[in-house]
Amino acid sequence: MSNEEKRPAGGKGSPFLGGLLRRDDSPTHDPNAPESLQWRIAVSSEKRAHPLRPAKKKPQKDKRHSTNRVAFFRYSHYDPCFKYFVEQVLNAEYLPLPPATRRTEEVGTQNSTDYVCTPFKHILGDFVDALELGANVVVQFGGPCRLGYYGELQESILREMGYDNFRMLNFSYGMDGNTALGWTRECLKQVNPDINVPKAALKLIPLARMVGMMDSAYDFYLANAGFEVEKGAFDRAWATYMDDMSAVTDEASIQEAHARGMERMRSIPLNKPENPIRIGIVGEVFTAVDARSNLGLDKKLLAMGVELHRMINLTNRFVRYNEPNLRQSAKDYISYDMGPTSTMTIVAAKKYAEEGFDGLVHAKSAGCTPEIDCEPVLMRIAEDYSIPILYLTYDAQTSDTGLDTRLEAFYDMLAMKKQRGAWR
Amino acid sequence: MTVETNGEDVRVIGIPRALLYYRYGVLWETFFRSLGLEVVVSDPTDRAVLAAGEAVSSDESCLASKVFMGAVANLIGRCDAVFIPSYASASPREGFCTKYQGAPDMAANTFRDQKLRVLSLLVEHLDKPREIEEAYIDLGKRLGAPANVAKRAYKAALKAQKVADDSRAKAQEQLLRQLKQQRAAADGEAPLAILVVAHPYIGHDPFMADPVLDALREAGACIIFADETDHGHAFKKSFEFTDTMPWVTNRELIGSILLLQDQIDGIVLISAFPCGPDSMTDDAIMRCIEGTPILNLLIDAQSGTAGIQTRIESFTDILRFHRRGGYLHE
Repeated sequence: MSNEEKRPAGGKGSPFLGGLLRRDDSPTHDPNAPESLQWRIAVSSEKRAHPLRPAKKKPQKDKRHSTNRVAFFRYSHYDPCFKYFVEQVLNAEYLPLPPATRRTEEVGTQNSTDYVCTPFKHILGDFVDALELGANVVVQFGGPCRLGYYGELQESILREMGYDNFRMLNFSYGMDGNTALGWTRECLKQVNPDINVPKAALKLIPLARMVGMMDSAYDFYLANAGFEVEKGAFDRAWATYMDDMSAVTDEASIQEAHARGMERMRSIPLNKPENPIRIGIVGEVFTAVDARSNLGLDKKLLAMGVELHRMINLTNRFVRYNEPNLRQSAKDYISYDMGPTSTMTIVAAKKYAEEGFDGLVHAKSAGCTPEIDCEPVLMRIAEDYSIPILYLTYDAQTSDTGLDTRLEAFYDMLAMKKQRGAWR
Repeated sequence: MTVETNGEDVRVIGIPRALLYYRYGVLWETFFRSLGLEVVVSDPTDRAVLAAGEAVSSDESCLASKVFMGAVANLIGRCDAVFIPSYASASPREGFCTKYQGAPDMAANTFRDQKLRVLSLLVEHLDKPREIEEAYIDLGKRLGAPANVAKRAYKAALKAQKVADDSRAKAQEQLLRQLKQQRAAADGEAPLAILVVAHPYIGHDPFMADPVLDALREAGACIIFADETDHGHAFKKSFEFTDTMPWVTNRELIGSILLLQDQIDGIVLISAFPCGPDSMTDDAIMRCIEGTPILNLLIDAQSGTAGIQTRIESFTDILRFHRRGGYLHE
């Protein structure tokens, strides 16, 4: 056999190496080998070359895997994305958090200054929950407002509270030079020193797509869930979608899960009027998006049978954010970037007003300076387009009765306004 | 555009006496005067200014912001345009509160019906002096000055600001030396040295800070302002305290605390309610600065000062007791 002949001379003295090099599947012996080795050659080649029984692989331990249990804070519907980030990019264990309890809120509030912005309190409570559930790494983001200092202060508060055995992956660090490099260094230092960096970096692309898909799915939910024929159908579909998304491991499975979820939501029968009441939600990136922080604002409004739109989400604020471009469309109102989410708030408000929405809801946490500074601009937009705006400020509250009353009154007002417009 | 780009016809420019005026006031005034403009600074803050600001502000904005809006309102009709720069925080460790970033647009939108003209410029990176210089030269050009005149005006303004800052830092050093001598001479009877840690627009605004400062002076304390310590030195020092804090003014205040801690008897933090940066910085200071008693005061638009007096008196009493060895911890 030609293969036989091409085999290097070394094959003679070391039959196992020869076995490895062999390509064809016929169990052949090396006739020149000493007799004492013949049986071993026979056994090993049989083992390797059996055509019907593929070699059983020992479950290989991933040497780059870290056993650190990483937890994020609770944030809207992004839990599957955080999970993907930890498991696929950081190659560590993800610790999912159960829904927040009243205690989460209390611990967060008690251990922070009373006039710090509300997300700080929520997240501090989340970290306490995470650490008690056994996390050893918690993750905090950075940003150009107070968010940039969240991590360091929360870490010192947590340590003072007695939680000692944890590390914080704080994306406020590593920003002094090259940000991508600095953040990589932080990930390696705090979570997993063995990350295969190029491979992990490539996995960020599907992650960005995943965030985009989840946001678009949620946009569909917001626009249609108010008109479902069977109550609760959308929530069930959404819960299944979230479960599917939590199980994804690569780009193909992300796409599959997304397609399945969208199909399920699209097949829900709707009873949507021709010209429904449309409300745009604008505001700060945590409170306007996170249901726990805004006391279920989306669901409360959807239950009244309205179409909701919300421009602010992770995709639009981070993945596709181009502030100068965005600002162009609101240049009659603003000349400069007014803060981390201000441009998006103003542009979204103007867009909804132009598109003839019935009303806007501006949601922010108490003391959010950039969003407070937006209010004069929003008032001008409301004036120019005569669109009503409901300003909602949230602090760490537990009762939503006040919110219910305000939303009902707002809805009634919009409905009456619409009806009167139709009569005219 | 609500904020104007062209200001060639502007002869009288107004500067609100609030926020960054207390940091860059000398620079701005010198700059515009060197360009041949007349400068009007809004009246010192009083209750009327605050009331005017409160009337047009969101009730959630901070006291300093309300005062700022009042100061802008105070300038309406007294000048051709109001100068409100946008100091953004693109540098992660040398930024400002987002209030300064949005101030020009906020004012322009609030006073749109009064046809307020706002002239502005954008400074994104405080650590890039070239960028700042270009922004000011560009503003000078927009005001109708040739580039070289604008450049000269900016250089002169920068120098004037530096001289003013340096003289304040020198005065503080001298005061500290004096205190040291007094302490060495009269044991136990020297005045209390109190470091007042407040943003300059609070600590040096008589309307906001005077109730506190008067109470301190009455109690026989010698006041040292943390914001007058050499800025560059204090900024560098602050990295010993925090790595990720994004605000340059808060960094300077913290740096000053670290630099002066062994020369003072007590620290008084004054914050305007609800100041964003201070809400976190004060927390960090209270947690991490050890060995010096700290009084954390939050001021709002109240007219009663009895509460402040009581707190200051008890604080200074404690400090005196402490100095006599009343408290035996380290």
